[in-house]
Amino acid sequence: MMHFLLLFSRQGKLRLQKWFLPLPERERKKIVKDMTTMVLARKPRTCNFMHWKDLKIVYKRYASLYFCCGLENQDNELLALEILHRYVELLDKYFGNVCELDIIFNFEKAYFILDEFLMGGEIQETSKQSIAKSVEASDMLQETMEEYMSKPAF
Amino acid sequence: MPAPIRLRELIRTIRTARTQAEEREMIQKECAAIRSSFREEDNTYRCRNVAKLLYMHMLGYPAHFGQLECLKLIASQKFTDKRIGYLGAMLLLDERQDVHLLMTNCIKNDLNHSTQYVQGLALCTLGCMGSSEMCRDLAGEVEKLLKTSNSYLRKKAALCAVHVIRKVPELMEMFLPATKNLLSEKNHGVLHTSVVLLTEMCERSPDMLSHFRKLVPQLVRILKNLIMSGYSPEHDVSGISDPFLQVRILRLLRILGKGDDDSSEAMNDILAQVATNTETSKNVGNAILYETVLTIMDIKSESGLRVLAINILGRFLLNNDKNIRYVALTSLLKTVQTDHNAVQRHRSTIVDCLKDLDVSIKRRAMELSFALVNGNNIRGMMKELLYFLDSCDPDFKADCASGIFLAAEKYAPSKRWHIDTIMRVLTTAGSYVRDDSVPNLIQLITNSVEMHAYTVQRLYKALLDDISQQPLVQVASWCIGEYGDLLVSGQCEEEEPIQVSEDEVLDVLEGLLVSNLSTPVTRGYSLTAIMKLSTRFSSVNRIKKVVSIYGSSIDVELQQRAVEYNALFKKYDHMRPALLERMPIMEKTATNGPSEIVQTNGETESTILDTKHLPSITQPASQANDLLDLLGGNDVVPVIQTTVPTKPASAGGELLDLLGDLSLTGGPTPTPAPSVPMSQPPFLLDGLSSQPLFNDIAAGIPPMTAYNKNGLKIEFTFERANPNPNIAVITIHATNSTEADMTDFVFQAAVPKTFQLQLLSPSSNVVPAVNQGSVTQVIRVLNPQKQQLRMRIKLTYTHKGSPVQDLAEVNNFPPQSWQ
Repeated sequence: MMHFLLLFSRQGKLRLQKWFLPLPERERKKIVKDMTTMVLARKPRTCNFMHWKDLKIVYKRYASLYFCCGLENQDNELLALEILHRYVELLDKYFGNVCELDIIFNFEKAYFILDEFLMGGEIQETSKQSIAKSVEASDMLQETMEEYMSKPAF
Repeated sequence: MPAPIRLRELIRTIRTARTQAEEREMIQKECAAIRSSFREEDNTYRCRNVAKLLYMHMLGYPAHFGQLECLKLIASQKFTDKRIGYLGAMLLLDERQDVHLLMTNCIKNDLNHSTQYVQGLALCTLGCMGSSEMCRDLAGEVEKLLKTSNSYLRKKAALCAVHVIRKVPELMEMFLPATKNLLSEKNHGVLHTSVVLLTEMCERSPDMLSHFRKLVPQLVRILKNLIMSGYSPEHDVSGISDPFLQVRILRLLRILGKGDDDSSEAMNDILAQVATNTETSKNVGNAILYETVLTIMDIKSESGLRVLAINILGRFLLNNDKNIRYVALTSLLKTVQTDHNAVQRHRSTIVDCLKDLDVSIKRRAMELSFALVNGNNIRGMMKELLYFLDSCDPDFKADCASGIFLAAEKYAPSKRWHIDTIMRVLTTAGSYVRDDSVPNLIQLITNSVEMHAYTVQRLYKALLDDISQQPLVQVASWCIGEYGDLLVSGQCEEEEPIQVSEDEVLDVLEGLLVSNLSTPVTRGYSLTAIMKLSTRFSSVNRIKKVVSIYGSSIDVELQQRAVEYNALFKKYDHMRPALLERMPIMEKTATNGPSEIVQTNGETESTILDTKHLPSITQPASQANDLLDLLGGNDVVPVIQTTVPTKPASAGGELLDLLGDLSLTGGPTPTPAPSVPMSQPPFLLDGLSSQPLFNDIAAGIPPMTAYNKNGLKIEFTFERANPNPNIAVITIHATNSTEADMTDFVFQAAVPKTFQLQLLSPSSNVVPAVNQGSVTQVIRVLNPQKQQLRMRIKLTYTHKGSPVQDLAEVNNFPPQSWQ
């Protein structure tokens, strides 16, 4: 299972953090710091896998964002690259040519999409269309209620 | 109070901050506003405020005061509130806070909500961060949802069940009925999560494992359909249909087939099919192949399939994609133990990976290379590994050096090759070599007797070039101290002997003492080396001077050594040659005494503990026979004892064991006769006998004259070796009252059978005339039965040009010496 999924910028600013294990706040902060240091230190044409403590770390850079996840030993690293890619595709479909700014200003949406794709560190749904439909439907539910209440959403 | 600013507004504002301080100020202001808003219990804007709080939390600011607000949002009826509330709960709450338990009721209600997306939120939250208590309370609801026909909920319930099982394994039984027809689903999401659930159950319980083995045919069928089916736009990734599901099924098959012949056989065909038909041009295909290889290696597959798997890994090694090469090396490392020969075929490719630019790949390649070294390929592999050692990153050097030493020790084709390899490692990566390699190397060098001259010469030359690498310097100093005589005498056969004088050698060693690059341990080594050369070189005065200078060194360790060596020169000069003799061959066993002590002291002068295998005495047999003949009688114990010690000595060095096993050494022994370990003053060896072994001053036992004839007088003085009152330590003092020296003086002794005797080296073999000096020699007698001590002695010397020989019996031992 995946232990965590982090998104951070080239300057090391955190854009998304998803934890699939209960860890104290202090520990989470340390992991984030370690991951950003390790990943940002990597040279351009090196492989996307690293070892950290007893976890396999898989990372991939998409434009100005690094996607970084921590896996257990029996997990398939090559497939993890596909998982990261699938998440980017989902974001891309939702936002239309997604860029870092989209994720900054709509971070809660990024989380909602992620929650339709992964749960408890495992994949929930392998169909892109299915996930897109669910997120859309949930958004509709939200908008409908807001319209009804004639109050703006947050 | 004005409406709180909107989330996007806040984000925009915070991003305009130019400094950290400015940002902090903005955030503090907003936090204050949010806090007051929370206090007002404002339902309308709670959602907005919590969203803003979550953003600030991501920037690293504390947000704990929003935890309760999340709970209120979850309890709200609005979907927007719930969405943000659950998100906040997942980010801000975890099972460490008591607050989270308050969620349980809300989640329970939401699990039964009419809107599936609300149920989905609840399942998601429970499945991501539910604590054990929550899982216990809500497992029933989850189980209910697992049986629903709504595939959206079913897949989420399956993963939620996985989480519940991880938290509370006892609840696993509960979900068993619901798994019955999970695999007959058409929906890929449900299929995928079901496979995950089954995997989790099988991993945790052997009973479940055997129960689910019957699913193998069904899994094989599903996998087959995935491969054979045409293009399915919904699940396609680069031409492969649902790779995520394929990989998950392969993983479950691995668990089910492990150790089970029938299951393994049932999946052989499909594995072969996947292995041969999967498209390898993209990463996704390789991900499936990787999982297939792992499965093939783990189950009881037929050998053809295993070879196929290793060949796939071999092909991976040649792939341009670094990730794939890395994955191949990792997998080969796992399989090298079981399928060694198959992996050997790819050795050259693996060795090439040592030259890769990628650090992770280099490390894996290095580990794998060490695993592949054997007697046949040692020379070639070592060349590559040494080249790698030269050019690799410093983080690797220590591991690489240790690996090389291990491999060299196991498979060295010749001693010269072994020593050359060690030299190469020490000179190229000397500072990275681990501390424990120094004593191991010294032991190796000592045991390669014929290579001593060559080794010391090469080490000396290396020292001339560079004294910064401490392990190299330590080994070199030790060798020079030990074999310095071979160095100056230019005896090297293996290569061109170099001309070096004693002074040059001492210059180098003294240079080490004063150099800033030398660590205290290294200085200790060089001081001891200098001291040892006092018996091998003729420039003793220079050595004496150096030693006395360091008697006042600030470094306590050096000071102690220097003072002790000084004492050797002054009071115990007669013992010095014996003390500083060549080291005997050391045993290579891991539990050997010397290596333990070596690690604590950092020194290898611990021959006193080398009791495991005493070298047999090289004493010429004729000498002993003569004595036997002369002394005649059957009650005299044979002088030569070659009994091997029956029990190993402990690291503490039971001196008494040594006593029991050592035999007589006759007269002054030429080097390299086995050194007699007993003659070391105890203060050099911590933790051993605290009592001096020898004491010229009789401790309460009166001295006696054993022999007095023709001007030669031999006096015995006594001391008890305190650890064992059965041992009498006798020092003989031979004096000569005639006007001519007695040269070639040899003292021999024999005792009755019930005793055991040990004769140590004499101080010299010239008894000076007119009582100008004496020859002293130490005898140790073990008298376990406390019988009356008797001794027969034989004296030989040359006096005024003619040889003299005499025998005598000594019976007048004072009772205290043997009672």
